[in-house]
Amino acid sequence: MTAPAKPTIMVVEDDLDMVEALRVLLEHAGYNVLAATEADTAFELAQREKPNLILLDIMMPSGTEGFHFVWRLRRDGSEAVRNIPIIVVSGVHQTFPFKLYPTESDSVYGPGEYLPVQGFLDKPIQPSTLLQEIERLLGKQETGSTG
Amino acid sequence: MENPTEHAVEVYGQELRARIAWIIRLRWLAAAGVGVTVWLVPRAFGVQLEEGRLYLVTLGLAVYNAGLWSAKRWLPQVGRGFGQFVFANVQISVDLLFLTALLHLGGGVENPFVCYYVFHTVLASILLSRRATYVQVGLALLLFLAMVLGEAGGLLPHYHLAGYLETELYRDANYLTAVTVVIVTMLSFTAFMATTIMGRLREREAEIVTLSVSLGERARELQRAYDALRALERDKSEYMRRAAHDLRSPMSAVDLLLVVVAEGRAGEISEKSREMLARARRKIAQVLDLASDLLTLSRAREAAFEVNLRQVDLVEIMRKLEEDFRPRAESVPITLTIEADQSTVMVMGDAGALSELLENLVSNALKYTPAGGTVRVSLSQEQEEAVITVADSGIGIAADEVAHVFDEFYRGKNARESGKEGTGLGLSIVKAIVASHQGKINVTSEPGKGTNFRVVFPKFRAAVRSKVGT
Repeated sequence: MTAPAKPTIMVVEDDLDMVEALRVLLEHAGYNVLAATEADTAFELAQREKPNLILLDIMMPSGTEGFHFVWRLRRDGSEAVRNIPIIVVSGVHQTFPFKLYPTESDSVYGPGEYLPVQGFLDKPIQPSTLLQEIERLLGKQETGSTG
Repeated sequence: MENPTEHAVEVYGQELRARIAWIIRLRWLAAAGVGVTVWLVPRAFGVQLEEGRLYLVTLGLAVYNAGLWSAKRWLPQVGRGFGQFVFANVQISVDLLFLTALLHLGGGVENPFVCYYVFHTVLASILLSRRATYVQVGLALLLFLAMVLGEAGGLLPHYHLAGYLETELYRDANYLTAVTVVIVTMLSFTAFMATTIMGRLREREAEIVTLSVSLGERARELQRAYDALRALERDKSEYMRRAAHDLRSPMSAVDLLLVVVAEGRAGEISEKSREMLARARRKIAQVLDLASDLLTLSRAREAAFEVNLRQVDLVEIMRKLEEDFRPRAESVPITLTIEADQSTVMVMGDAGALSELLENLVSNALKYTPAGGTVRVSLSQEQEEAVITVADSGIGIAADEVAHVFDEFYRGKNARESGKEGTGLGLSIVKAIVASHQGKINVTSEPGKGTNFRVVFPKFRAAVRSKVGT
C-alpha cells in the first residue's frame, strides 16, 4: 500500500452522540470524518469537501429531510458529488410502512421506486457490518472510476 | 330534517309529483281512447256522433295535457305541497269538465260512459286529501246535474245518439232519477272506500318513514362511534410508534457508543470493563427489542385498516423459516420439523407480515421448549382454507392463562419463571397480523406437555384472481 490519501466519510446525523460514536469508530478504522447535523449544511459541506462516501440518517429534525438531501444531492449536486455513494443508517423503515429498499419478496417494485442510495443499515449499527459496507462501496468506486 | 313529520311531508310531496306524472301519462291514454272511440263508433256500429266537435274537445284535452306535461317540469320542486296541491286539484277539476263536455256532445245522460266519473273519483282519492276528494266528487255531481237538467230544461242542446237509442230518454223523469241516484251513490261509495284505503296506506307510509328516519339516525350514531373508535385506534398507534421511535433512537446511539468502547476502538480496555459493557449492551438489546415489537405491533394494527394484499405462497415462507431457525434449533438441541402437504399454498397477504407472524410463533415455540423436545410446524390445505399449526413439546400454558396470551405485555407464569427474556408483545403482533388477513387463530395447551397454535387463513381463490390480475 502506497499510503494513499485517507478516504473521507461525511456523517449526516442530528444526534451529536451518534456523530461522536461514528467519528471515533471511523477514525479508528482509518478514515477522515466530516459531520453535518442538517440537510442544508450537509449539502453545502458535500459540495465543498467532496467526501468519498456519505452516511445519512433519514430521521433528521424535520422528519423527512434525509430524503430531500438524497434527491437534492443527486439532482443539484455538482459533477464531482452527484454520484457519491450514500449509506442510509436508520430505523425508519420500521417506523413507517413504506419501503426504502427492495427485499427478495419485492420483485414487483421497480428500482425507480426506491431511494437512489447504495446501502442501507438498520439501527442499532454493528461496527463490523458498517465497516464492511463502507469498504465494499469504496472499493467499487475506485475500480469504477479507474480511467 | 330531523323531524319525521317533515320527512313525511317531503316524502308525500315527492310521491305527489310521481303520481301527477303518472296521471299525465294516463290522460294521454284517455285522449287516445276517446279519439279511437269517436272514430270507431259511427263506422263500426252506425251510431251518429258529433264527430267534429268531439274531435275538437279531444284535441283540447291533448293540448291541455301537453301543457301540463311541460308545466310539471317548471313546477317548483321545493314548493312543499301547496303549489302541487293546487296543481293536482285543478287537474282533476279540469278533467271533470272535459269528461262532462265529451258526455254532453255524446248524448248527455243517454251516453253509457256517464259512469266514467268513477275513475276521476278514484284518481282524486289517490292524489288528494279526503276532503278535497269529496269536494271533487261534489263538483262531478254538480257538472253531471247541470248537464242533465240543462239538456232536459232546454237550456243546453241535446245531441241524440241516432242508431243507438230508438227513443229519447233525456227528458224521461224516471230514467233521469234512476241514473242520478246510481251516479250519486256510486261516486259517494267509491270516494268513501278509496279514501279509506288511501288513508290506511298513508298511515303505514308515515310509519315507515318515521321508522326509516330513526333507523337512519341510529346508523349515523353507530357510524360516528365507529369513526371515533377508529380515530382513537389510529392515535394509539401513532403514540405507540412515536414512543417506540423515541426509545429506539437514543438506545441505538448508546449501543454504538458502548460497542465502540467495548471493541477497543476508542483505546484499550480491561477484560472486566469489556464484560461490564457486554452486560450493558444486553440490557439495551432488551429495550430495543421492546421498541421494535411496539413498532411492529402498531404497523400490524394499522394494516388492519389499510391492507395492501398480494398473492403470497406460504410454502415459500415456510422454506425461509426453516433456513432461519434450523441452526438455532440444532444448537439447543430441539427437533424442528417444518412440512407442507402441497408444493404451493397461496393466500392473499403481506409477505413481510406473514413471515413476521410465523417467525414469532416458531421463535416462541423454540424459546419455551427444553432441550430434547420437538417443534413441529405444518401447513395444510383444506378446501377453502390454509391451515398452519405450530406445535411444541414445551412448558405449556396454564389453563386459566390461555385466554390472555394474546393480550399486550402478558406473559404466562411458566414463561416468566422460565428465565427467558420476552417483551410480551410477540403474540399480540401475531394476533394483529392474523386479524389483518381475515384469519383466525386459536391455541390449546397443557402445562408440561406443550402448546399448539392453529392459524387459519382464507385460501386465495380464483374468483379473486380476476379482480387482482392485470
